Amino acid sequence: MTQLRRLPLVRASVPETATLGDAALELTRAGVPAIAVLDTLERVRGVFTSEGLLRGWYPPYLAELRHTAFLDDDAMLAERADEVRGEPVRPYVERVEPLDGGDSRVHAAERFLHAKVDALPVVDEGRFLGMLSIGALCAATVEHLAGSQEPQDGS
Amino acid sequence: MEVAAIAIFVGALAVIAFEFVHRTKVALVGAALMVIVGVLSQDEAIEAIDWATLGLLAGMMVIVGLTEPTGVFTYLALRVAQLSRGDPIKLVFLLAGVTGLLSAFLDNLTAILLVVPITLLIADLLRVSAIPLVVVEVLASNIGGTATLIGDPPNIMIGTHRPELGFNDFVVNLAPVAILTLVTVTAVLALLFRRQLRVDPARAAEVGRLDPTRDMRGARNVGRTLAVLLGTIVAFFLHGLLHLEPAVVALGGATVMLLVAADDVESALERVEWSTLFFFLGLFVMVGGLEQQGVIDEVAEWLADVTGGSRVVEGMVILWGAAAGSALVDNIPFTAAMIPVVDSIQGDEFDDALWWSLALGACFGGNATMIAAAANVAATGILERSGQRISFVRFLAVGLPVTVLSLLIATAYLLLFQL
Repeated sequence: MTQLRRLPLVRASVPETATLGDAALELTRAGVPAIAVLDTLERVRGVFTSEGLLRGWYPPYLAELRHTAFLDDDAMLAERADEVRGEPVRPYVERVEPLDGGDSRVHAAERFLHAKVDALPVVDEGRFLGMLSIGALCAATVEHLAGSQEPQDGS
Repeated sequence: MEVAAIAIFVGALAVIAFEFVHRTKVALVGAALMVIVGVLSQDEAIEAIDWATLGLLAGMMVIVGLTEPTGVFTYLALRVAQLSRGDPIKLVFLLAGVTGLLSAFLDNLTAILLVVPITLLIADLLRVSAIPLVVVEVLASNIGGTATLIGDPPNIMIGTHRPELGFNDFVVNLAPVAILTLVTVTAVLALLFRRQLRVDPARAAEVGRLDPTRDMRGARNVGRTLAVLLGTIVAFFLHGLLHLEPAVVALGGATVMLLVAADDVESALERVEWSTLFFFLGLFVMVGGLEQQGVIDEVAEWLADVTGGSRVVEGMVILWGAAAGSALVDNIPFTAAMIPVVDSIQGDEFDDALWWSLALGACFGGNATMIAAAANVAATGILERSGQRISFVRFLAVGLPVTVLSLLIATAYLLLFQL
């Protein structure tokens, strides 16, 4: 069994006191669909996702709308970007159950199939190890199926 | 058992009014308690459920749910904003008119869910506060919904309970007074809010340049979907001639809509608001418990004593009492409880005037407070999620006078033409 801690995890996180601007920068820097939001003891409090960034960046009623093809970016973004940059990230944090470093790929696959986020935090004894994205999990699975040299538990 | 039935029902109403727990949970727990403590048997509980109301609601939810992706409702709302050309009086009248019309032919909760989000966008683009516009829409939705059998849940319950009252009867007897009330109330609101809704001409011109058809070009099934929606509305008008119950018309329309406009039935049925249907289900069982224990008959006898058997006084007591009850609790459970009372008051002689009194009281009473109607709760919820909050008192300050004005118009109408 391949343990998740051996997969390529991305160490992407912000403290829960971070601003929306800080979280947006970290999200884009890390290049994963979600980053972890940690408390002072490095425990995962939730994740900040690309969807959370969209919710913060654009007016809140956008999520209630279904038809907006007639809008242009200037109309939607004017003044709002500066207003929200300094806001706390906390309202945009989504609660998720982290994966454990000792979990299997199949368990991670099941979690992704039922989760609303495309990257989940992986922890070891409660401490944050890194973010596992669906892409990284799929890549590891493809490599394994292709019979490539995949690090095995205990090897 | 009678005391237990009253305690369960009044307790449930109190919890619903104060929103401690989701109203669907309250109604289902109340229904379960009625059966568990023996107020009514399992068979009686199932018999108490008004399946026609549930069918009508579910059918309309599917029809509207499959029409919404066409973008036609967004088109309507945006065109209205453009037609106003930044004039606050015109904007209020046009938004109230569209909301009232959608409420009459879809239902007021659906109309609010469709119109309020696009109103928040319009307000943002025009740089005015969205709150006055949303308040206008909520009040217009409850008044507009009064006009038809399918416009407001109290009317749906009344219409499905009394087959003598067809879709056209509602239109003939309630639409004129609803239109008159809507125009009067909108005029008052336009004057009240005109200063808050002053629009910079440059912003109005910018909104005028937006092309609302852009979102409809890619939408599939627009023609077929709208044809089914309009066909269903026509069938409501003709249901008496066709010998079809309103619920059958709604479910028939939903079935045709699923056939012509839904690629995936599962996702189409996700648009059914199951929590609302289960809320009604629980409510019917609780009211069934009150009926079973004779509570409803006692209330009716008490009302007959109070009114001295006078038809005019009965009509007025039902009108103003239903409005007061709806304002304090929620017009859906209150109407559910009042329907058997009106049944009992009229006895063997069917009297439609008492039913119009109940419909006008419950629907207009839905405007008094933020919790009085499902549409109000939904609109304030959308406002809150968008970062704008309207307090209970601020809504009451507008809603209560509007309700009193509406009831005065309804009183005059009933006294002149019905009672």
